[in-house]
Amino acid sequence: MKSKKKFVKWSLTFITLLLFLITIFPFFIVVINSAKSSLEIITDPISFPQKWSQLFTNIKTIWTSPSVKYASSVYNSVIITVFSLIFISVFSAMAAWVLVRRKSRSSTIIFLIFISGLIIPFQVVMFPLVSLFRNIYEVSGVKMLRTLYGMIFTYIGFGAPLAVFMFHGFIKSIPFELEEAALIDGCSKPQIFFMIILPILKPIFVTISILNAIWIWNDFLLPSLILGIGQDVQTIPLAIAGFAGSFVKKWDLIMTAVLMAAAPIVVGFIIGQKHIIKGMVSGSIK
Amino acid sequence: MANVKISNLNKKYPNGFHAVKDVNLEIIDKEFMILVGPSGCGKTTTLRMIAGLEEITSGEMQIGDQIVNDVSPKDRNIAMVFQNYALYPHMTVYDNMAFGLKLKKTPKAEIDERITKAARILDIEVLLKRKPKQLSGGQRQRVALGRAIVRKPEVFLMDEPLSNLDAKLRVQMRAELIKLHNDLKTTFIYVTHDQTEAMTMGTRICVMNNGLVQQVADPRTIYNSPANLFVAGFIGAPQMNFFPGRIVDGKFVEVEDHTFKLSEKMMKAVKEKGKESAEVTVGIRPEDIKISNSQEGISAKVEVTELLGSDLNVYFKIGQRSYILKTEAASGIKLGDDIYTVFDSEKLHLFDLETEESLVY
Repeated sequence: MKSKKKFVKWSLTFITLLLFLITIFPFFIVVINSAKSSLEIITDPISFPQKWSQLFTNIKTIWTSPSVKYASSVYNSVIITVFSLIFISVFSAMAAWVLVRRKSRSSTIIFLIFISGLIIPFQVVMFPLVSLFRNIYEVSGVKMLRTLYGMIFTYIGFGAPLAVFMFHGFIKSIPFELEEAALIDGCSKPQIFFMIILPILKPIFVTISILNAIWIWNDFLLPSLILGIGQDVQTIPLAIAGFAGSFVKKWDLIMTAVLMAAAPIVVGFIIGQKHIIKGMVSGSIK
Repeated sequence: MANVKISNLNKKYPNGFHAVKDVNLEIIDKEFMILVGPSGCGKTTTLRMIAGLEEITSGEMQIGDQIVNDVSPKDRNIAMVFQNYALYPHMTVYDNMAFGLKLKKTPKAEIDERITKAARILDIEVLLKRKPKQLSGGQRQRVALGRAIVRKPEVFLMDEPLSNLDAKLRVQMRAELIKLHNDLKTTFIYVTHDQTEAMTMGTRICVMNNGLVQQVADPRTIYNSPANLFVAGFIGAPQMNFFPGRIVDGKFVEVEDHTFKLSEKMMKAVKEKGKESAEVTVGIRPEDIKISNSQEGISAKVEVTELLGSDLNVYFKIGQRSYILKTEAASGIKLGDDIYTVFDSEKLHLFDLETEESLVY
């Protein structure tokens, strides 16, 4: 009996370790190859670099590359990510709050529409979306394609369903008496939301922000459709794609650029990971 | 002046449920009014309408000289203590108490002064920097009271504020609330389903059932002279004994094989109501049934005994009917004993069989 338990324990440890290695392997490849020259990578992609200083040479090359415009793509990625996160989080929290507190048939229907947004694959709507944006431009002159605000607007649409779903579950567990107490204390409805509800939503807010930040920061497909590869407005993933031409692939620069792009997200995740777990279980138990 | 006058108050929900029916109630300035009744009787709904948290379907609500039907909760000069305390979890105790005052743009020095004073009264001075989750139930309760006190309201509204506390703390907080009421000299309106709280704390009690006010009176009157069968049964622990009887000649009441002589007061009341010969429900409180030391009285068999420290509840049977009496624990009555009981006919209550109203009060 004891040996069986021991066997199960060791097996689980082994499987966990194996999964860890499989997961970490691509990141390991990126790290070691980001400090190599293109020739080194092609010769031996899994060895450690000869000199780590090559990393700084690669970074300098990327940063100053006139064809890729990495600096402006970082700026664009930051703008798109920050504004998308703010709007997704705040608007979704507002919507979820109203949907929870207004107990009516229409609230249920609207909530179900939000949920349906979760189950429709992006690939199904991506081409109609581009076509719709083109039509909007033709009809109203509002340019949704190749613009930062078009990109942000699209992310709000795709990010809101999950955010509303998560906020909805959490807000249900907040006692309504808190809002009534605030009402008696003299709060208006917006004050109740911003001074009472929003601070209580902090754990779920951080969770949603981190999940969306990872997605938006790393996303390639949606920006490639809305902004287009090689156009004026680029995000980091699109810029990285610029290092891979039809005939030449600059693997040293690609690897370094990937590392540079991943760094802020990894740091952010490490700082906020405890909130992710907290936010995930919030609302599920009282 | 902060008397609260409720006239013909009604609350009907969209689903048709009539929660509060034509309630008329005047709460005098500085009074400790208790709204008591079973779950769903409309007491909390009435309180929430006073607070402005529930819309009034019809009727009039007046606080002081102002009709407040359409006045928002913040402008009613009230403070409310909720059953689950409703403390803002992200704020410290100090911030919880200061929140309402900050919104009113009260000067900081005054906020400090009010909070210090309230914290001293409630003995929570050392808790001011803590968050609600770091407090025990009793401490949270005090903070909730503190939050209400600092507002200096004309009317305190309390919705079952002690129901989440353990029995010992509840007794302690009960005494503190009575003291607080005496110190603050403000109108208190307190909702509870616990009749002990109602009896011990209230200047007056308003007993409600099915959205209707059953009786409004001081605790002694409610206990000694219940207006109807519901009040008689709801107030008092253990509950009043009820059994069918028949008034004979306006002077006696017959219960099964036994006859009790009515008091002068009862005879007069029965005559006035023309019930000199009528079927009635007879009630008697457990403490008004005595155990005879001699073999006089009605013989009975003890079914169950409940020892409550100094008192003993004795459940006994006469014929096929069960009764309960309350006696001293020292009496030594045991399960299965044969006893002789004496019903104090002066303390009988008579209720109309149809209307369930008391014939005497």
